[in-house]
Amino acid sequence: MTLKTVTIVSAIALSTVAATAEEVRVYNWSDYIDEELLAKFEDETGIDLIYDVFDSNELLETKMLAGGSGYDVVVPTGSFLQRQIQAGVFMPLDKDKLSNFDNVWDVIQDRTARFDPENAYSINYMWGTTGIGANIGKVTEALGDDAPIDSLELVFNPANMEKLGECGVHFLDAPDEMMPAALTYLDLDPNSHDKDDLEKAAGVLEAVRPYIQKFHSSEYINALANGDICVAFGWSGDILQARDRAAEADNGVEIAYNAPSEGALMWFDQMAIPEDAPNPEAAHKFIDFILDAQNMAAASNYVYYANGNKASQEFLAEDVIGDPAIYPTPDALENTYIKGPYPQKVQRVVTRLWTRVKSGT
Amino acid sequence: MAEKPLIQFRNVTKRFGDFTAIDNLTIDIFEREFFALLGPSGCGKTTMMRMLAGFETPTEGEIFLAGQDIVPVPPNQRAVNMMFQSYALFPHLSVWENIAFGLKREGMPKPEINARVEEMLRLTRLEKFARRRPHQISGGQRQRVALARSLAKAPKLLLLDEPLGALDRKLREETQFELMDIQEKTGTTFVIVTHDQEEAMTVASRVAVMDNGQVMQVATPADIYEAPNSVYVADFIGDVNLIEGKVSATGDGTFALHWRDGAEPLRVKSPTGFAEGQTAHLAIRPEKVTISAERPAEAANAVQGKVLDIAYLGNLSTYHVELPTGDIIKAQTANTRRISRRDYTWEDTVWLSWTATGGVLLAN
Amino acid sequence: MGRHRLAVLDGHWRRLVGELMRRFLLIAIPYIWLLALFLVPFVIVLKISLSDAAIARPPYFPQFDWAEGIRAFIAELDFENFLWLVEDDLYWKAYLSSLRIALTSTALTLIVGYPIAYGMARAPEEWRPTLMMLVILPFWTSFLIRVYAWKGILSNEGFLNQFLLWSGLASEPLQILNTTTAVYIGIVYTYLPFMILPIYAALERMDDSLIEAAEDLGCSRLSAFWLVTIPLSKGGIIAGCFLVFIPAMGEFVIPSLLGGSDTLMIGKVLWEEFFSNRDWPVASAVAVILLLILVVPIVLFQRNQQKEQESEE
Repeated sequence: MTLKTVTIVSAIALSTVAATAEEVRVYNWSDYIDEELLAKFEDETGIDLIYDVFDSNELLETKMLAGGSGYDVVVPTGSFLQRQIQAGVFMPLDKDKLSNFDNVWDVIQDRTARFDPENAYSINYMWGTTGIGANIGKVTEALGDDAPIDSLELVFNPANMEKLGECGVHFLDAPDEMMPAALTYLDLDPNSHDKDDLEKAAGVLEAVRPYIQKFHSSEYINALANGDICVAFGWSGDILQARDRAAEADNGVEIAYNAPSEGALMWFDQMAIPEDAPNPEAAHKFIDFILDAQNMAAASNYVYYANGNKASQEFLAEDVIGDPAIYPTPDALENTYIKGPYPQKVQRVVTRLWTRVKSGT
Repeated sequence: MAEKPLIQFRNVTKRFGDFTAIDNLTIDIFEREFFALLGPSGCGKTTMMRMLAGFETPTEGEIFLAGQDIVPVPPNQRAVNMMFQSYALFPHLSVWENIAFGLKREGMPKPEINARVEEMLRLTRLEKFARRRPHQISGGQRQRVALARSLAKAPKLLLLDEPLGALDRKLREETQFELMDIQEKTGTTFVIVTHDQEEAMTVASRVAVMDNGQVMQVATPADIYEAPNSVYVADFIGDVNLIEGKVSATGDGTFALHWRDGAEPLRVKSPTGFAEGQTAHLAIRPEKVTISAERPAEAANAVQGKVLDIAYLGNLSTYHVELPTGDIIKAQTANTRRISRRDYTWEDTVWLSWTATGGVLLAN
Repeated sequence: MGRHRLAVLDGHWRRLVGELMRRFLLIAIPYIWLLALFLVPFVIVLKISLSDAAIARPPYFPQFDWAEGIRAFIAELDFENFLWLVEDDLYWKAYLSSLRIALTSTALTLIVGYPIAYGMARAPEEWRPTLMMLVILPFWTSFLIRVYAWKGILSNEGFLNQFLLWSGLASEPLQILNTTTAVYIGIVYTYLPFMILPIYAALERMDDSLIEAAEDLGCSRLSAFWLVTIPLSKGGIIAGCFLVFIPAMGEFVIPSLLGGSDTLMIGKVLWEEFFSNRDWPVASAVAVILLLILVVPIVLFQRNQQKEQESEE
């Protein structure tokens, strides 16, 4: 009985402390914001900002599903978000508290509504495509001037990969990205849940497996920029970062990013508020701050990813808005697909196939 | 002891860095001897034993065992076994296995090992403890296991490093006799290292008294006690009164020791000669000094003094008597009567007397 | 009078109850410890392993509901997930592979660690605290950083390959990083102190005269080592092997940082079940089996030790 009283008393004490020093906890991908924006947010609102980073959707999802993460704003990718909404992880956004909500870009909103009907739970932060990063010099050396650097042929045709294997190829360690790409290569539905289709896609990956140096979701940025590898199948912004690093280092490495001409996966990282967020009020303030046209533009100019904010486009740097690798042309945008989440049973098959691709078991 | 020596140390020197542990030492040990190396710690006796076992090699000189130079022979190939001060019993093996350890290394056939171990267990009265581990038996039993183990291989020479040091006094005395008994039964040559003079005197047939890496005297226990060859040996073994003075010959192998101006010189018979006026010590054991109330008529030497202290040892009493010169002389008497009827007490004036052959005259 | 007797009785009772309480506490504390830190978490994991995956928070079903009662709750549990583990050869291959890697690296750690422990125990007494310090010193740096450092040493452009090329021992860089060899190196390096310390403790206690006694009784240096030093350090060897084997079996960080994609270990499979498949029940089943694999040899060993001791009494 006394124990209970003590708990209640301390709970009250804690909540008072929390009220006096207001804070908001944000959990976002690593290297995904201009840090000056964080200081600016604290200056403008007087709210303490605690900003943590993660590097895999799986990690974020496990925290969300376990509950009690203590975060107020998190940034999962669309396909993950959809399942998390079903699990009841998020609270609906209160649009009345978002004064900058009208800045959003309808082109993106239409697409994200497929994960998040009516965009009730989330707002887009950044989006991009998954595609091919190539070290132009090394690839032409291996395959000649007409090397298909904008085609899945480059990475899924064993004849090409055999030659590229010498100079190093990295693939994302993410079956949710790689399986749809292999399905696209086979001219099958990238969203197929059919076991036979998935087996075939795994077959494509297994055929080129011997020439892949590593499956990893972030090491390729440095490896590509240093010239250690010649091809990476990865995320658009990361490959563009590699391109810029190489240019800055002036090391003779020239990197190009291309969305596959057969069709590219388009992904969306969405800001959402966990259902058990300690401070939803401040969470809304943070999202509203990001939705500000100039702030959003600053973030994109920094990380080289496109955003879902129409109003921000007038503040974007020319090498961002003008680069079709970041903001694809309307035609190219038509040539993309969106991947939905796998149902539990299919997810299991995909993970199992992925393990087989990687380890041969 | 006319036979050939079993062990010969020939001009052996052992140095550890700057420290000389054994200094140009030559000594013979004969077969079937029970030989004791006696001395204070650091005198080099343990080094000598470890050189015999093969754990140390001499810096200079040779060591022969039955005529063979054993310096280059490693310890595991010497017909020598050692009983360690700590016993060094293998804690993971039973008493039986400990005793059989050396036999198994020899490659002895199993039935013979069994027979030999049983024999050793019988010899040391350990039959009942064969299956126990060393930590499950008493200190005395452990000591016997160590002995049995080192005797099992029937070595030509058995080395015993302070074998009784860890036992209490009563057990130690019993075990001393047991050791002598076993040595006699097995006919093995024993070399024992000890700092305990009583132990050495009890068990050994010959004793080597050592000091600073040198052997001071090698003799039977009786000779060591009765006829020490130096002040060091006399002082180290038992209790002794040492009186310094200048010698003058009085003929017939008798000498007068002028020890204090104005005091009557002491008369001593000595087989060795002394130069006129040479400085020497008279060493006389307290039990050779008689205490009496009156001056004895016939005594060769008599001095008067005052009882300063009485040490009661039960069977004996030692009287510390102060002479007018300030010297203190100890006299010992057997307590044949009850203590209440003792003749002398503190502050009594008494006479001390001894014969001309009671003491030994030692040159410096 | 009656009252007085009652008071005496009361005093007796109190003392008795006090004594019982004291004994109870004495016995209870280790059990409570075991219960809180081992049994309760295990039962939770076991319960999840008997559940089904679901899109929910937390992502499994059934959740315990007081209203429906324990009977209804238990009725929902089943062994489906364990059957699943049997059906796919991935799992037992991963267990076997982990077992092989753990056993091999334990043996390697022993081979590397024993001479070090032996050298430390034989070193002059005044050096020993320093040597001990050197063994423990790496713990002052984060484990993760040390494993990352090995990436720098073992990579194709790393120190090791640069040295090999420079010295002419290799004509082209050796592929060590991202192979099972790198995993062995990582495990041996990381767990070496856990092998050295118990063996050192056993060897340091050992009386040097035991070796001399063995030599005196006819052993060569080598046979004295086998017949005396090894048996006497057995306790340390066993403790060290357990301390290395158990964490190596479930190791995740080292294979994922140093190993290749084809290094199959149960820790990685578990991670994938938990994070990629978000199938907590199957992940829990994998963990339960892993625990059984680890606990069974420990229990058998304990029993054996106990029997040995009893036969000695």
